[in-house]
Amino acid sequence: MRGKLRGRYVLPGLMVVGVSLTGLLTAGASAGTTSGPGPSPATPASSTQALRPADPVTYRLPPSSYVAPGQNLFEANCSSCHGTDALGTERAPNLVGLGGATVDFWVSTGRMPLAISSLQAVRKPPRFDRTQTLQIVAFVASLAPAGQNGPAVPAVDTAHADLANGNSLFVLNCAGCHTVTGAGDALADGYFAPSLHRASATQVAEAIRTGPGNMPRFGPGAMSDRQVSQIVAFVTGPIQHPDNRGGLGLGGIGPVAEGFIGLLIGVGGLMLIAFWIGDRA
Amino acid sequence: MSVTSGVAGNGKKTAKRVDPVDAGVRWLDDRLGLAKGGRVFLDKIFPDHWSFLLGEIALYSFVILIATGVFLSLYYNPSAAEVVYHGAYVPLRGVKMSVAYASSVDLSFAVRSGLVIRQMHHWAADVFIGSIAVHMCRIFFTGAYRKPRELNWIIGVTLLTLAIVNGFLGYSLPDDLVSGTGIRLAFSFMLSIPLVGSYLGFFVFGGNYPGNGDILPRFFIMHVLLLPLIILGLITVHLGLLVRQKHTQFPGHGRTEHNVVGSPMYPTFIAKTTGFLFMVSGALWALGGLAQVNPIWQFGPYEPYKISYAVQPDWYMGWLDGALRIMPSWEFVGFGHTIPFEVFLPTILFPGITFTLFYVWPFIEAKLTGDRAEHNLLDRPRDKPRRTAFGAGALAFYFTLFCASSTDVLANFFQISLNSVLWFFRFSVVIIPIVVALVTYQMCLELSGVAGAGKRKRANVVTRSAEGEYDITKTEQRPGDGPSELAPTPVPTFIELGEEPEPVGAADGSGIRRIARRI
Amino acid sequence: MSVEQTTSSNEPAPVAAFDDPHLQPYAKNPRRAELVIGLCLFAGLLGFAAYGATYWVGGQTQLEGVFFGVGLFGFGFGLSAWGKYLLPQGPFSEERHTFASSEAEVEAMSSAVTQRGTMMFRRRGFLGGLLGAGAAVMGVVLAFPLLRSLGPQPGKSLDTTDWKSGMRLVDVNGRPLHASDLEVGGSLTVFPEGFVGSAVDQTMLLRAASADIVTRPGRETWGPQGYLAYSKLCTHAGCPVGLYQELTQQLLCPCHQSLFDVLQGGQQVFGPAPRPLPQLPLEIDSQGWIRAQRGFSEPVGPGFWERS
Repeated sequence: MRGKLRGRYVLPGLMVVGVSLTGLLTAGASAGTTSGPGPSPATPASSTQALRPADPVTYRLPPSSYVAPGQNLFEANCSSCHGTDALGTERAPNLVGLGGATVDFWVSTGRMPLAISSLQAVRKPPRFDRTQTLQIVAFVASLAPAGQNGPAVPAVDTAHADLANGNSLFVLNCAGCHTVTGAGDALADGYFAPSLHRASATQVAEAIRTGPGNMPRFGPGAMSDRQVSQIVAFVTGPIQHPDNRGGLGLGGIGPVAEGFIGLLIGVGGLMLIAFWIGDRA
Repeated sequence: MSVTSGVAGNGKKTAKRVDPVDAGVRWLDDRLGLAKGGRVFLDKIFPDHWSFLLGEIALYSFVILIATGVFLSLYYNPSAAEVVYHGAYVPLRGVKMSVAYASSVDLSFAVRSGLVIRQMHHWAADVFIGSIAVHMCRIFFTGAYRKPRELNWIIGVTLLTLAIVNGFLGYSLPDDLVSGTGIRLAFSFMLSIPLVGSYLGFFVFGGNYPGNGDILPRFFIMHVLLLPLIILGLITVHLGLLVRQKHTQFPGHGRTEHNVVGSPMYPTFIAKTTGFLFMVSGALWALGGLAQVNPIWQFGPYEPYKISYAVQPDWYMGWLDGALRIMPSWEFVGFGHTIPFEVFLPTILFPGITFTLFYVWPFIEAKLTGDRAEHNLLDRPRDKPRRTAFGAGALAFYFTLFCASSTDVLANFFQISLNSVLWFFRFSVVIIPIVVALVTYQMCLELSGVAGAGKRKRANVVTRSAEGEYDITKTEQRPGDGPSELAPTPVPTFIELGEEPEPVGAADGSGIRRIARRI
Repeated sequence: MSVEQTTSSNEPAPVAAFDDPHLQPYAKNPRRAELVIGLCLFAGLLGFAAYGATYWVGGQTQLEGVFFGVGLFGFGFGLSAWGKYLLPQGPFSEERHTFASSEAEVEAMSSAVTQRGTMMFRRRGFLGGLLGAGAAVMGVVLAFPLLRSLGPQPGKSLDTTDWKSGMRLVDVNGRPLHASDLEVGGSLTVFPEGFVGSAVDQTMLLRAASADIVTRPGRETWGPQGYLAYSKLCTHAGCPVGLYQELTQQLLCPCHQSLFDVLQGGQQVFGPAPRPLPQLPLEIDSQGWIRAQRGFSEPVGPGFWERS
């Protein structure tokens, strides 16, 4: 085959390759299947303590020395919307009494400070490093009396967590919004459940306990610390590092991507072969 | 051009030695009388056009389905009995699941080549139905379903329906979370049928959902025995009718309503088509190994109170799922009864009307056009603009419905509100087909007005002499330039394979002459 | 060039010389084509062998797919190319014979059917009627084992669930729910005590702020301390409505995106669902256990004919 004969396949061949590459790339981009969690938060040196294996989750506030620098950071970055006393304005809610876990979640995932005023804040590179984040956490947590605060910053022991239980709990309570592969999906009225592929262990635990945004809240009465650690282990394990031994993960969104590939590459490719075997009219 | 006779068979002198092929043919002919019909069969002509190979993609994917399906059926166990998993996939260890699910996971993890064959089976099903759809489009847009081929069209539509149903049954067998949701939906669809719905649902499932555990074994036997038998039988009739009525062909040089022009069955077509079988199989093997499909271990076993988001059926059921999503919530309640049209209409009535329309289409067209003549030559789609426009509009309609089944995924991907995406599809499912039909109609009219549109042009070589004169030479015809400029001839039975043919008798150059054979 | 077409037995079969252009191969350069085809077939052979080797050492899905796939594909490509480029290019033709029988034969067939049928049924209409009636009855009763033996009749079982007055709510592990368990904004899947995992009884327990609930007439006591319980079976097509949007206080069904308003009695507000989610009236007993006052407000799940 030369020249003309090869030439007649260039355009359809390029089209197939181009479209399928686009499809594969977007399918892969829509939920990065093998991306790991974000940087694990390093617990500040002054409060380092070896976790006992019996405690699946421990809740700890940053040391009180963090409150003052936290106040400065808060005033510079957060008070314009949340008020200097964090009691909220018409633009932003009251933060007093929400607890350290809430503040840590929103700030460490980069959702806060808000870059664009939209319906739902999105994860973006956090503006503060771990220490600064914990300083802000310490400040906001200090605004409410001890007993009237939400949960403190959790540290999760996933090493002893039962993965199978985590699997069951995740599918029952989380998959309905985040999908069973943690890819995330659109909710009603413009909201969405985000992908779980970049959440750290701490952030997952924080989200479970505090229920950010449209996410429901699972307190200790609904879900024990052991169960939380199991879910966290499942998310940071098989969800973020899925066993894709079957080949390309295709985004983990199931039949939508599969149909795309099956029709375009499968049927389309074979039609090209038929085009080669046969004649034109 | 001269023609010489040859000796029978392979052209060697066979005076004393026994030719095994000859002996074999005689053996069969003495018992079955195969020689005459067999030779006609070997001479059978297949037109060369590429679009006639689309049905073969379907046929060969079906062959792969059977082959891989047999393998899978040796490992899969449809029982709903509960077991605790202790296999190779760690996140499921200790989880209670049905034997069906456990056997599917074990097949994927613990059986060598099990995963590649399981995925191959799934991809082959997707390709099977996709190629049936493409083949059906070719038949439709070229008018191949007209008299005398209405029967074959009816068989083909039945094959499409059975393939879709069998696909649904098949991907529901592993009892994973995603396909189990589909089974729950199937129960609800049955329930929505007026008068008999609840009875049908209870009979099929053996009780109120989830039934008495019989549903998976029933699906299994339907999927591996009942439906494949019917499909196999129908394919046989489909191909048999094709042999009996002979293939259609596009109009062209030397082609009439009373002949078929192309390549003979043996050896040309058999070589091409067997090669195609291997290529289809190879493509499916490659897909089965490289592209993950239906990773049931990630979904987990099905429980009736669990659900995942971003759950769609396989693509060939997508049009029904899309219809179900965009259907407004019109339920009729009155006289002590309920007719849930929001489910009944998109899942029972709508596909019923669709397939009925497919079935009767040849007769509708015959009535509308008044054309009841026998047709063996095909139409170019542009020559029948109304049929082509209607078909294109219908395709656009079903394609829009298919896209509507991924409303949530689209809303998430494009970061638009889910509600807007749904309303978009509610309107576009009406508007897009009309627009597509009108545009297609106009395109057909314009294309048929342009002479030589779509035909391959032969390049001209333009040279300029020193005096400034232009000289145009048409380049030679190359293989594949088509249409061949040779007039078609019958398949020769006796071919002189010697290096130098000896002309016996006068050569008048007017055609193939038959000369007395030696022997 | 004239075309002679004969396939009938009384004419000799066609013969052709090797230099007949119809017998020439398609390929401009058959030797080069043979080389390419040979390489393809050899690649196929290697692919098959590589698959065999991969299998022998334990198998690996991607390698198995690539090796055997490329092997088969190369092999098939070579074979198809052989058929396309090295074999006679033709074109060849065969004649179509009308298979419609002659007019006389068609008439003979039709009259054979009618006249012999008349021989059987003339003046024996009563017998013919009996034959038809018997066949009809046989057809009807044959449907009985085919359908009815499959399963039980629905009866009233679609109208009720296992929820009864006073039953405690338990989670998926069988643990009873206490009034202090859920925080405001929390949600959990619950079942009646003793029926954990039941498909029809599955219920979504939510806790909203009491002040936000819009109490529907007759349901004033149904949501104690902000606890609301709705059937988890979507009224559209029966999927579990497991998606609780806590901020907008809505339940979204993941299957076809029906949306239900939690604070207004599970009212359907968007999507294809035709009816609100049935609500389970709750009460909190003296020890704080959450119990059902009685069953659901209406039959759960999607619509069916007998639902009034």
